[in-house]
Amino acid sequence: MIGGRRPLTGRKPGDRRVRVERPHSTYFRYTGQGMLTAKRAASAPTTAVGRAVAGVRGLFIGRPLASEEESGERLSKTKALAIFSSDAISSSAYATEEILRVLLPVGVAALLLSVQISIAIALLLAAVAFSYRQVCLAYPNGGGSYTVSKVNLGRTVSLVAASALLIDYVLTVSVSTSSAVEQIVSAAPGLHDVQVFIGVGAIALITIGNLRGLREAGNIFAIPTYLFVVAALIMIGLGTYRILVLGEGSGYTEADLEATTTTLEGVTILLVLRAFAAGSVALTGTEAIATGVPAFKPPESRNAATTLLVMAVLLAILFIGITFLAAGFGIVPGEGADKTVIAQVAETVYGAGSIPFYLFSIFTALLLFLAANTSFNAFPRLLAILGYDGFMPRQMSFRGDRLAFSYGIIVLAIGASILVAAAGGETHLLIPLYAVGVFIDFTISQSGMVRHWLTTRAEGWRWRLTINAAGAVLTGGVALIVTFAKAPTSLLVLVLIPSLVLLMSFIRRQYDAQASELEVQSDAVFEGPQRQQRVVIPVNGINRSVIQSVNFGRTLASDVRAVYVSDDVAAAELLRRRWEHQVPGVPLVIVESPYRAIVGPVVAYLDVLDRAWPPDVEAPVTIVVLPEYVARHWWDRLLYNQAARRLKAALVGRPHTVIADVPYRREH
Amino acid sequence: MTDRQNVFTRAILGVGGGPMDRAIVRLSAALARPSRAELVAVHVVEMDWTLPLDADLAAGSEDAQRALDMAEEAAEDAGSTLETVLLQARNVGAAIVDEAAERGADLIVLGLPYRTRFGGDFDMSRTVPYVLKNAPCAVWVVRQAIPSEET
Repeated sequence: MIGGRRPLTGRKPGDRRVRVERPHSTYFRYTGQGMLTAKRAASAPTTAVGRAVAGVRGLFIGRPLASEEESGERLSKTKALAIFSSDAISSSAYATEEILRVLLPVGVAALLLSVQISIAIALLLAAVAFSYRQVCLAYPNGGGSYTVSKVNLGRTVSLVAASALLIDYVLTVSVSTSSAVEQIVSAAPGLHDVQVFIGVGAIALITIGNLRGLREAGNIFAIPTYLFVVAALIMIGLGTYRILVLGEGSGYTEADLEATTTTLEGVTILLVLRAFAAGSVALTGTEAIATGVPAFKPPESRNAATTLLVMAVLLAILFIGITFLAAGFGIVPGEGADKTVIAQVAETVYGAGSIPFYLFSIFTALLLFLAANTSFNAFPRLLAILGYDGFMPRQMSFRGDRLAFSYGIIVLAIGASILVAAAGGETHLLIPLYAVGVFIDFTISQSGMVRHWLTTRAEGWRWRLTINAAGAVLTGGVALIVTFAKAPTSLLVLVLIPSLVLLMSFIRRQYDAQASELEVQSDAVFEGPQRQQRVVIPVNGINRSVIQSVNFGRTLASDVRAVYVSDDVAAAELLRRRWEHQVPGVPLVIVESPYRAIVGPVVAYLDVLDRAWPPDVEAPVTIVVLPEYVARHWWDRLLYNQAARRLKAALVGRPHTVIADVPYRREH
Repeated sequence: MTDRQNVFTRAILGVGGGPMDRAIVRLSAALARPSRAELVAVHVVEMDWTLPLDADLAAGSEDAQRALDMAEEAAEDAGSTLETVLLQARNVGAAIVDEAAERGADLIVLGLPYRTRFGGDFDMSRTVPYVLKNAPCAVWVVRQAIPSEET
């Protein structure tokens, strides 16, 4: 072998060939002129500890994926309906209960009002859906409220939208998970005491799944939505038949009904508004389709708009249907051993302890977990966009081994887990926080669309502008109602949103300042360095590590000096004599340190050198070369280089100073 | 060679950095997969007589490295793995034949590009006839589609 080339003889005389080594091929691949692509081996850990950590990570998260392995699957309307609607449709599992909880204190008969309130919310849903159809058609690349407001309403408003969205995504996870766990507890009441653990555990599992690169586009995610929808529609059909045709239902007593008139007199407009605000959580998740337009098969906008309408119709039927059954069967929240309202409805229709009841409970829980999972896709993506735009730390936009935005996923999991634990796994304690941000987002998005139509004046703009303006006014009004009706808890969101806006503005300002500080004019040409350099080497004696550093220092500048700090004058004098003999041409400066300090005298010496430089000449760059002994094991690192480490810490940020570590490695 | 499940056990693929490289790698990878046959892509840098045979030429040649890296990538895309060998020789055909003999290959696969100049014809060069005549094993020559066939 000569320099990676091995001569070989052939079968015939004179047929010789040379096999050439390809050292790069293990780690890199040439993919174009002057372009190398790193293979997986290039980023593989090289130490035993690193390999062990990577092994454990691989066990939980899976093997690293290359960027080109990302799935670019486009969704059909049927599949997209299931995947994007899970958040919205799942809210029908708890929205009815929230209305009933508000009305219950007035009296059982007041619960009859819940049907009218649910119809009013369904009308609001229709208005919002029509408005968002315009967003789908106008923004084929995805019309999240952040995107729409950034383009049309400017930075501050878009940051308000982003903050509201971030808060809502965290709440979607905590509310959906809590509700799913409540659903499980309704079917298995024995689990009541551990419901927080189940909730946090479920979030942990979803987190691991997403860190593994779980995609919401898989068929597996479409199934729970349809299972729930079919089971719920059957339940509504059977229940309605029993109430309207067989005359069953009405768990209210005669006395309750007789008291209806008297009771309803006590129902104030404020109470109705509060019930309306509580039930409006049913609208959460409506915007998901408008955000995910690019994931649809072509024609994307048209397909997304159609899917949005189908989703709104389905949600309205489910929400009104479940509320009707709850009112019809006289179901009261908070009774019946921790059973949710939807579980009580299912129990009444399908029969307590029956297989259909348990199946329905499982489907509902699955759908709610799936709704939580949608936020695990949307939240990190929004954080990544904010990271790209400079409003969040840039690492938020880095993708992990499995192509997932790992930092965002972890932030979301921590935030949602804290909320679930703080609320003790009770959904209704989290609801007042929910929906406030959603309606702020709706309003901002619709207002942005009004501006969009005014600016573009595209075909049919007047009609579209009217729809979006009506949507903006309506959702703006509801945002106010929801905020004040759910006060004081809801006001927390109004504190959180400006705080997040301030934080994001601060981060952006920092990045802008850094960028302007580092900016290089595009027409500037950079010649070689003009500035003088000098080298200072703190030494602890004469040894191989020091000699290696001195030799390295000699290659950097002609002005090289060593500094020895000691409190033992005699020993220092001995060293000087030896140094002059063994390291000629490099002066050794001995600094006596009667107080035994090492770092301080070295820094002070550098300051003195700087001050001694003529003030009319540009100060030289001082290169502090630190000899460093490389420890062989992780456990003996504590034994070496402590003074060098402290010196390095003291010199970081010192003007005109560069620190160079020169590691000395043992050959054997 | 008659057993359809075990067409070959070790094949040498001659890659020259031309348009046929990906095609022969894909074809060979598809045929190698059922029997887990070994694939070895060989690129030969033909050395001029003015230079010593062991001159440092191929290692620094990005074209040569890229030809083999592309072959490796094409094999991975086809769900297969491939060993790459870079050679310097005076005669490309002889180097391929000798490499096949040394590795005990039972198949050599070569691409045959079509040149549209001068009325259009297959570019046999010196390599294909030499390998056909001297190979110690079966040789497949995969021709490039004639432009009229592609339309």
